[in-house]
Amino acid sequence: MQLEFDAFHQAFREEIRAFVRENLPPEMARRQKQLSFPGNRSDILEWMRILHRRRWSVPNWPVEYGGTNWTPLQHFIFERESQEADAPGLFRGGTHMVGPVIYTFGSEDQKSKFLPAIREGRFSWAQGFSEPGAGSDLSSLRTTALLRGDRYVVNGQKIWTSGAHLSAWGYFLVRTDTDVKPQNGVSLLLIDLATPGITIRQIPQIDGDAHLCEVFLENVEVPAENLVGKEGAGWTYGKFLLDNERTFSSFIYWNIRELRKAKEIAQRETMDGTPLAQLPTFRARLAQAEARVLALEWSVLRVLAQEARPHKLSVIASALKLRGSELQQLITELQVDLLGARSLRFYAPSETEQLQSPDDAFWPDYVPGKTGIALITRAASIYGGSRQVQRNLIAKHAFGL
Amino acid sequence: MDFSLSDEQVLLRDSAERFVREEYKLDARRRLVAAGDPISAEHWRQYAELGWLALPIPEDVGGLGGSFVDLMVLMVALGSGCVLEPYIPNLVLCAPILDRSPARSLLGAVADGSLRLALAHDEAGDRFNLAGPRTTQATAAGDGFLLTGAKTLVLGGPSADRFIVSATITGEPACSLFLVHRDQVEDQVEQALSRYPLIDGTWAADLSLSVEVSADALIVRSDRATALLDEAIDRATLAYLAEAVGSMETCLEICSAYLKIRKQFGQAIGKFQALQHILAEMFVEAQEARSILYQALSQIGADASLRRRAVSAAKIVIGQASQIISRQGVQLHGGYGVTDEYPISHHFKRLMVIEKLFGDIEHHTTRFAGTAPGLQAPDSSPAA
Ligand SMILES: Cc1cc2nc3c(=O)[nH]c(=O)nc-3n(C[C@H](O)[C@H](O)[C@H](O)COP(=O)(O)OP(=O)(O)OC[C@H]3O[C@@H](n4cnc5c(N)ncnc54)[C@H](O)[C@@H]3O)c2cc1C
Repeated sequence: MQLEFDAFHQAFREEIRAFVRENLPPEMARRQKQLSFPGNRSDILEWMRILHRRRWSVPNWPVEYGGTNWTPLQHFIFERESQEADAPGLFRGGTHMVGPVIYTFGSEDQKSKFLPAIREGRFSWAQGFSEPGAGSDLSSLRTTALLRGDRYVVNGQKIWTSGAHLSAWGYFLVRTDTDVKPQNGVSLLLIDLATPGITIRQIPQIDGDAHLCEVFLENVEVPAENLVGKEGAGWTYGKFLLDNERTFSSFIYWNIRELRKAKEIAQRETMDGTPLAQLPTFRARLAQAEARVLALEWSVLRVLAQEARPHKLSVIASALKLRGSELQQLITELQVDLLGARSLRFYAPSETEQLQSPDDAFWPDYVPGKTGIALITRAASIYGGSRQVQRNLIAKHAFGL
Repeated sequence: MDFSLSDEQVLLRDSAERFVREEYKLDARRRLVAAGDPISAEHWRQYAELGWLALPIPEDVGGLGGSFVDLMVLMVALGSGCVLEPYIPNLVLCAPILDRSPARSLLGAVADGSLRLALAHDEAGDRFNLAGPRTTQATAAGDGFLLTGAKTLVLGGPSADRFIVSATITGEPACSLFLVHRDQVEDQVEQALSRYPLIDGTWAADLSLSVEVSADALIVRSDRATALLDEAIDRATLAYLAEAVGSMETCLEICSAYLKIRKQFGQAIGKFQALQHILAEMFVEAQEARSILYQALSQIGADASLRRRAVSAAKIVIGQASQIISRQGVQLHGGYGVTDEYPISHHFKRLMVIEKLFGDIEHHTTRFAGTAPGLQAPDSSPAA
């Protein structure tokens, strides 16, 4: 075992730090710090453009498509340092989801049309998988795409399509064959969201935001060339795409950063003049959260360093997702507890982005946004395979139960 | 012991449940919140008509002289609808203070709905230490006082006609209470009242005070004010906890209904044992919550140290139960749980607000530990 970063990776860390320091616009960092989730879409795309100038916007892609040759640990360092400096993340819907599917299974036309757009942060993508009746049981999805000449005619409804209202394109799982077993008739289709017949409704959320969307598709005509790969293989591609998020679903980088913010609040909020960080109860809670975050970080490192293991990777991924989402909830709720009754004020999403004074006696800058994030973070144990579904997967695939 | 309700209490509960059914369907509640008014005047009128505003007010000043148990029956029922009206700030927090002051004749107007009150007590840096000294100052000015300072989280403040303001009279060790007209506050400082909604759709305000008041505005002097406030806050806390119990029991109904209608993998999700166990766990929490509520009710009229201990115990148990129930309630709903379009998220936020008002679990744990046999610090007296 070698349990430290070697000199090469240490040097790389300095390189990333310097780059972020020199290139991250301070206003963007401030917004990101205050907002956290899901982050300001235009900032994310702008950051993609900044990274692109250094050829770092799609680091996980093969070099021929504009990616890097980074080791898994380099990716880790890149993500961690970016978050540490309050940089927006990559636009993962493009870089980690649809992008890899397109360069692995897509046509040459699709590659030349979409890969540069993702790389250069030109627009964002929405993921149209879930439906009202197909959540945890995705295979029961019913949206159909039937081939009529050179186009598919798409009918159905998607839900929870994050950011659809801000996205130019979406990648959709649709049923192209209704006569076969549920998994077999599903295909992956790229759809221009400006196509006639598409209606998008934003869903009002628990936190006052409306980022989740319903997408209604009524006789939407999609050129047949927008089918990715083969008809009926959508399930395989969908899995492939979600597999790219194995370690990221631990939200380790995010957890590290939010814990840091919690500690900052604990230094600034006081009780009878004593910073909360000095009170036994909060000290203990912060310390325990930190120990958990450290463990999660090393769990991620074990995956990234490709440790030989007795279990399937998918089982480890489920464990990372479970613990990561628990920590997301624990840490954001700790932030809320630190704020005490101040946490109860409602801030509309537009207010949380505004500049707040650090010295306001009642509502200093670290107050707005925190409770909203804690509220929507209840979703961390719901999306991307719910807590219960992940547990089912571990029981089944680790223990054959 | 007998835990059954009297006939009058059954009528009271039924009227409140009917009100919730008729006025607080999810869509109606969402419309009220979206309207952005700090109070529905129409609802407040109904509260008056139904006798709820008169309920806890003594008979000799136009009230019904109801007991705290009556009040609890009402709060549990209103809690099931996550109602938005500032009932507790008016009737449980302020009315009893007024009752023990020279201004008690005003209570008739509170009972008929024509006068609304709010307590302006919280200040920056308080963090639940509501018994501490106030930085808001009352200095002699003419025949009366000049009040200067800033108050925050004044519950029901945006819809109040008068404020009970805590302030320290120069040279005195503890705060006194003043009754101040809203107009007086607003006339003397621009934007003296800044109002904002809380996450559950109820309203609060910050007050920036620089207001001259006459001598008779002083309604409770420092020798009695802290104890009176302490009692009023304990009683308000318990009333909120009763609301929380109503809310939690409703969460159970909402969730069990949802588990029966929501289908995934070709069956009702309620067939999954994992979810059955979650619901069963929520049930245990709700049971305990009601039990600790009754425990606290039994002590609400006792002397201060017993009362405080009982209220803190209730706050701990109900606070923890509400976190488990609301969080699991959302989880059981999947994505639908994090939308505003299902009632579970409304209960979630209401319960979160109640957990934090007048001391969170953390605060009450410390307060309770200070009185629990075998847990006191060697040098602390039980009443401290
Ligand atoms: C914030 C957020 C963002 C999202 N973004 C997207 C997106 O961009 N694109 C997209 O396509 N989808 C997205 N989703 C959808 C998400 O993947 C689904 O919400 C998720 O799959 C759960 O489905 P559901 O909401 O229908 O819940 P359901 O499947 O109805 O689950 C309800 C409850 O049943 C439980 N349950 C279900 N099956 C079982 C079982 N077999 N055993 C035990 N318990 C079970 C669940 O754990 C949950 O507690 C998003 C969701 C959220 C909340």
